[in-house]
Amino acid sequence: MAAISAKQLENELRLLIAEIVEIEPAKITPKASFVADLGMDSMMALEILASIEKKYKLRIPEENLAKITDFDKVVELVTKFTKK
Amino acid sequence: MLLKDKVAIVTGGTRGIGRAIVFELIENGAKVLFTYLKSDESAGIILDEIKELNGEAEAIKADVRLYDEAKRVIGEAINKFGKIDILVNNAGIVKDKALMMMDPAEWLDVINTNLTGYFNMAKACIVTMMKQKTGNIINISSIAGVVGMPRQVNYSSAKAGELGLTKSLAKEVAQYGIRVNAVAPGFIDTDMTKDLKQKDAMIKMIPFGRFGKPEEIAKVVTFLASERSAYITGQVLKVDGGLAI
Repeated sequence: MAAISAKQLENELRLLIAEIVEIEPAKITPKASFVADLGMDSMMALEILASIEKKYKLRIPEENLAKITDFDKVVELVTKFTKK
Repeated sequence: MLLKDKVAIVTGGTRGIGRAIVFELIENGAKVLFTYLKSDESAGIILDEIKELNGEAEAIKADVRLYDEAKRVIGEAINKFGKIDILVNNAGIVKDKALMMMDPAEWLDVINTNLTGYFNMAKACIVTMMKQKTGNIINISSIAGVVGMPRQVNYSSAKAGELGLTKSLAKEVAQYGIRVNAVAPGFIDTDMTKDLKQKDAMIKMIPFGRFGKPEEIAKVVTFLASERSAYITGQVLKVDGGLAI
């Protein structure tokens, strides 16, 4: 993955998630619960994971699926696996 | 070729029904990774035979009773072939005994290999298949799981459990384009059945009047793995010569 700023990464991830969950990007606040606040289901979580892997050419082990609970956690995950 | 360029994993691929499935899938164009528990020699012989058929295969020694081992198998398959189209859960054992003589270890060993092993492999590959939005899981159960067999409470329970796993998972993952089916063989001529007592009496119970051949199970697996069964999921196909009619 080419080096991008933290801000740019956040913007890209917000757009990616908004498209999958079909909501306005602005509604994806850092701590908003994907399930309780944004109505996300497990299929969407999987789509987010798969889209992130494809976009950033990463491999995120499936054990991390359960960690996709809010935007901050997604950013944290991508940052962690980008550094590996 | 019904399975050209498909990637298949077969557990317990060196003997009996599993071995026949490996060859049937290869002959139908699939690339096959099979697991085995003990015999490196048998696995090597099968790989040589597959090479002579110009087939592509890989063998992995693995104990599917352990989840980490199942994950290792799936990882190897993805590293080698890049995807997983078909999982055939087949590895199994018998420890037949009347219930009053069966000790808990014999119960657990059969449950762990036959049922937990299937769970482990399905769990280890399901996210990969979900991401692919396509996949096909075929569980080799047994007629023992459908009708129950005496002196086999461990085996019959595990095999019935596999049918529950099949139906439950089929409903769960249909939305991802994944099909899950089971095959329930009757009495088949394999090492597992060669020492059966009262074989003649058993044959009399079968309308076809004979034991089945491993290849007859393998052909049904190929059907379930192919697009010919595209609208079939959560089903149990009894392949038993009419035994359980």
